[in-house]
Amino acid sequence: MNNFSRERFKTGEEYSRALFFLTPFILLFSVSLFQVLNLTLFQGDKYQTIAESNRIYQKPISPVRGFIYDRNGTLLAENIVQRDLYVTPAYIEDSAKTILKLSNLLDVPYELLDENFSRGVKKVKKFDSFPLVKALNEEQIAKAKVNLDSISGIEVKATLKRYVLHEETLAHVLGYVGDISSDDIRRDKLLAELQNTQIGKTGIEKEFDYVLRGKPGIQTQERDVKGKLVRILDTQGAEDGKDIYLTIDQKLQDHLFKLFENRRGALVALEPKTGLVRALISSPSFNPNILNSIVDTDEVESLFSNKESPIFNRAISGQYPPASTLKPFVGLAAIENEIISWDKKIKDDGEFYVEGDPRPYRGWKENGHGRVDMRKAIAESSDVYFYNIAFDLTLAGIRPMLDSFGFGKKTGLTDFEANGLLPDKKWKLGYKGDFWFKGDTINLGIGQGYILATPLQLAMAYSGLANKGVIYHPQFIQPEDEKSFEPKKIAEIQLSDNKAWEKMEQALVDVISARNGTAHKVFDANSVVIAGKTGTAQIKSILPGKEYDAIRENPALRDHALFVGYGPVEDPKLVVAVIIENGESGSEVAAPIVKSAINFYTGGFDAE
Amino acid sequence: MQNKPLSFSVDIRLNKRRNLLNFDYSIVLTVFLLGLFGLAMIYSASGSFTLVLKQAMYFFLGVILMITAAMSNFRKMEPIYLNAVWIGFFFLVLVLILPNSGTTNRWINLGFIGFQPSELMRFLLPISAAAYLTRNPQIKLSDWIIVLVTTLVAFILVFLQPDFGTSAIVLLSGIMPIILSGLPWRFIIYSFLGGIGTLPFLWMSLMDYQKERIYTFISPEADALGSGWNIAQSKIAIGSGQFFGKGYMEGSQSQLDFIPESHTDFIFAVIVEEFGFLGALGLFLLYAFLIHRLLYVAKSSNSKFAKLVSATLSIILAAYITLNISMVVGIFPVVGMPLPFISQGGTALVVNMITIGIILSLRRTT
Repeated sequence: MNNFSRERFKTGEEYSRALFFLTPFILLFSVSLFQVLNLTLFQGDKYQTIAESNRIYQKPISPVRGFIYDRNGTLLAENIVQRDLYVTPAYIEDSAKTILKLSNLLDVPYELLDENFSRGVKKVKKFDSFPLVKALNEEQIAKAKVNLDSISGIEVKATLKRYVLHEETLAHVLGYVGDISSDDIRRDKLLAELQNTQIGKTGIEKEFDYVLRGKPGIQTQERDVKGKLVRILDTQGAEDGKDIYLTIDQKLQDHLFKLFENRRGALVALEPKTGLVRALISSPSFNPNILNSIVDTDEVESLFSNKESPIFNRAISGQYPPASTLKPFVGLAAIENEIISWDKKIKDDGEFYVEGDPRPYRGWKENGHGRVDMRKAIAESSDVYFYNIAFDLTLAGIRPMLDSFGFGKKTGLTDFEANGLLPDKKWKLGYKGDFWFKGDTINLGIGQGYILATPLQLAMAYSGLANKGVIYHPQFIQPEDEKSFEPKKIAEIQLSDNKAWEKMEQALVDVISARNGTAHKVFDANSVVIAGKTGTAQIKSILPGKEYDAIRENPALRDHALFVGYGPVEDPKLVVAVIIENGESGSEVAAPIVKSAINFYTGGFDAE
Repeated sequence: MQNKPLSFSVDIRLNKRRNLLNFDYSIVLTVFLLGLFGLAMIYSASGSFTLVLKQAMYFFLGVILMITAAMSNFRKMEPIYLNAVWIGFFFLVLVLILPNSGTTNRWINLGFIGFQPSELMRFLLPISAAAYLTRNPQIKLSDWIIVLVTTLVAFILVFLQPDFGTSAIVLLSGIMPIILSGLPWRFIIYSFLGGIGTLPFLWMSLMDYQKERIYTFISPEADALGSGWNIAQSKIAIGSGQFFGKGYMEGSQSQLDFIPESHTDFIFAVIVEEFGFLGALGLFLLYAFLIHRLLYVAKSSNSKFAKLVSATLSIILAAYITLNISMVVGIFPVVGMPLPFISQGGTALVVNMITIGIILSLRRTT
């Protein structure tokens, strides 16, 4: 203290001290100025961009999906107005509270809403909305309209949803639409720009999605920090999707679909001379509207888990042994390779033996057909005859003919069809790990063994028979003018003897018309003349000592019934391939459908 | 000849009048410019004419009080100045006692008018301190201690509200007169080191939101949607203003409410967004000029009291300006402080203008 009081205080230092203590502020002031310089000039462009993205909101405008019509202009698929409950997460303060309120208001389970919400929230960008409850019913709409003003971030929006008029009948042709999944976006980056738009998932909806979908528009909006619309800066309208006219004949399709009631199977009917597909059925079917607007997820789940696979398109993706329907092609190969002549007869006593192998290859008829030539062998479907010629032809002799008729490769109708299977030695070694045996060739001779074909491939191959070697590219899109339409050839099979076509056709006509034909049961004097072939595809090879009667007790192991045919033979208008799974008899269940199809289509007795 | 006695009396009156209005008009002009510019910016930032009208009324009140203060004779005012601090204490205690809504007690509402006692304190305290320290020709150690204790009490009262930013200013406003009045350097250094020693305790006494602000400053990305959002949006606004700015009322960040508290603490961001670097530079020059002129009073006055008061008040003003701007540009933590003369807020504006008025009055009698 004493020391202190003696100290002389400096005065007049106020100003210099003030400057001293002002220094940190002057420094901070200068650094601030430099920071402003840095932000505005050196980083100005960057911040300008960020400020723009803060301000600008690009709202997509959904285009209207194109309609689908049949060849006669019958409406097949349209759009209907559906009212959905949309939620904008950005405007919701307490999601749990909001969901609980909505759950009580609309009588929808809380868990379902919660799940939808947490799934949707991940996908949306700022201020975007997504549907929380789809397809509100009248009562829900009424309740929502009264109460929703008090819940922020929730609105009822009218959206257009795909609606298929003929429901099950055309399900596999049209396919269904659905929301854009992350997988879809991975495949096509442009889809990321579309929101709450549906895209085709299967069938025509998928294949021609780029036509039907149209182009979305964009509205450039200025929005404030809370997402409130301030003004619209620019609007680029959406370009609506285009309509599509299919080659399908809805009346024919309807007529045939009824014949498939309670049956599992498939049908392909197309014009042999143009490749235009007139009917395509896969049964059992499903109602695409269930998937077009998924409202009930249980229903969808049961659709996908159904053991009978209603969603699976058997007509283009189902692969079956062609069985005896393959015989005409094996026969033509034998004639072409001069293994046998038309008149040469082979004795069929019901069994065929290969040298050094005690096991018999049995024919379907226990005691055989006696002495048969080609025509009789086709009409009566002699297995032993074809065992013989297949054995002589060898695999190398059979494959080229089957290949030229399109077996084992896609027909080109859609991207989604199966290849079928035309086996060769390499294939067997690779997939079965075994060499090709003579027995494999013998089985191939009657369309059994490894060979598989889709109903579409069978119809295409038979169109080659109907056209005397020419096969046209199949298609679903109706040409503007059928008369001037020039179909694209995809195969032109030349035989050394052109008469072979007529001879084979005669044999195929015998199948129904001749008293001994395997499908003579369906013979009808009023019907147009049909050329065709029955087939019975074995699912399980019959082991020695076990009779078929024992096997057939299990319905799932019963043989598939096939019939492929075309008519009228003098001027083929329609070729039809039908397979009825576990239907056992081609002549009894499949042939009547083919006959009905051709007669209905050509205006015969079955037409209404 | 006959003029002399007459002219003498006239002279006195003339001199008096001249003295009365003998202001540094460049300061007055600068304050007017800043105030009017502030009104324009508040309108742009808030879009509310009512708010501008209210602020304009405060500005008008401020002008009257500034001129009144400027015309006063500070020597006659000294006894009043000496005891002015008690008014500040009265309100500071009152604001803590009175029930208040929210988490902080900062406002006193007189029904027709509301004000912040802490804002009052940060100009009453240094004036009283300066008057107390200079009441005798020689300053005693006890004088400094009494001022220091008074300052610490005021600081704690504001800190309890709690108001971190203003309490720091109050502390500064009380300590500056002690330091400037000639406290030996070694005491200054000891207390500075001692102050650093108390920082951990100070940190512990901070409210959660105050700690959060400091965290946010250290790492704005960590809380991009919370407090960090404010700084991020402020920087976007400033940067996007670029060189010339987007134009008055044209700043998207401010017009679309991306800038938080755009008409109060963050109004500088609005200014730069709409007037660009050029506008910021102009504002910086105005402020630099103002501080320079205010300090000139401290330099040129021959009164120790005047020197202490003008220097302290200038430093406080400079502190407000720099802390606000450095906070808005993102180089300092967010400490809710208004930008002098520009931010919306009546108490601060009126207090700042009285401050200017008092400094003007000091200059008048030099």
